[in-house]
Amino acid sequence: MRRNYTGCAICDSTWGDVWAEVEGERLFFCCGICVTQFRHLVDRIKASTGWPTVDAIEISGDRRGRRCVAAHGADRFGCFVAFNADGDVREFRPEAPPSVSR
Amino acid sequence: MTKCPACLERFGPDGQRALAEHLATRAGASDSDHVRWLNQNVGRRRTDAAGILRALVPVFSVGPGGLAGWIRGRFVSKFFGAVPHPFVAALQRPARPVLLGYVVEHQHFLRQWVRSCAHITAATDDPDVIRYELDNLVTEFGGSGPDRPSHYELLLRMGEGLGLPRDRVLATPPLPATRRAIDGWEAIARNEPWVETMAAMHSLELIAHRDLVRDGATLHYFDPAILDDGTLASAARAFLREGYDADVGHSEEALALIARHATDAAAREDLQSTFLRSIDLFDDYLIARLQRANDYAA
Repeated sequence: MRRNYTGCAICDSTWGDVWAEVEGERLFFCCGICVTQFRHLVDRIKASTGWPTVDAIEISGDRRGRRCVAAHGADRFGCFVAFNADGDVREFRPEAPPSVSR
Repeated sequence: MTKCPACLERFGPDGQRALAEHLATRAGASDSDHVRWLNQNVGRRRTDAAGILRALVPVFSVGPGGLAGWIRGRFVSKFFGAVPHPFVAALQRPARPVLLGYVVEHQHFLRQWVRSCAHITAATDDPDVIRYELDNLVTEFGGSGPDRPSHYELLLRMGEGLGLPRDRVLATPPLPATRRAIDGWEAIARNEPWVETMAAMHSLELIAHRDLVRDGATLHYFDPAILDDGTLASAARAFLREGYDADVGHSEEALALIARHATDAAAREDLQSTFLRSIDLFDDYLIARLQRANDYAA
């Protein structure tokens, strides 16, 4: 899965040392709550789009709420997501992904 | 900075280096409370204990506004900054589910409030602190007869006014995040000095302090116009107005009492860590109110 973050898959932090498999790939996370968040995010994207897999995900924002653009092949999907303290999804809202500049 | 702001482990009056090493070790073990604290207060890029030690200095540095000014500043940046806390954003013009989430979770908070204030009262020798806490207990929980119901009673009436009977409110257990926060505040009350408990709890009243704009707040706890524009049910208006009218005085008086008793550097640093722990608990607790609101959004 292509990602824009080089640190923790959901918050880009480089603290911590958790490795967890998501979509068949071992990814780095700073803590267990971020693992939970990322798995929930991928599940919600797949449920919303019907995609069998997520090929790429770009995330921006912070703990108050994150904007995401996911891709599967040539298809793209945008959303806003916020989590509760346990890492479960508190708010999930599909949004139009930003247009691609050519 | 001799007490860990993520778990309150103590490191003694000259334990700054031990604290930095502790933070590095706990973060290395991926402990979520320590990683979170470092992410939000030091930065998202890992550094070693020496780097953490350097980064702690500005976090704990008290400026010309003294300890009270430092507490207000940290509180504003966490809850009223450029991206305000989501509950504060939702409360600006609150929908019914948000107010019901407030009612159901806050009943548990207010019961812990009583316990924490009682711990302070039992432990202090300062008559001013005792009087302050007794007044606070009456305002928040006891009430002063039918004309001046307590904040707790007004909360339950707000629920009833929005169609949620009080017996159902009282029978609803707290969400896990609320439970953890309450347990955290109870541990502070039982294990930490009373002045730190006072800082942990009464600093939270800053949430409804309507003058925080002077300290850089980008908005109030709620849009004050909703108290008069007829958009809220009368019971909701009464509940929000009570806090709006009371919490400036409550929080300012508490900050003055805290500053009077936390005079030496070691005590002040310990108090700062306890305050930082408390506002992390409060952050999660406010999110729990929104999580509960989802139960009523259908």
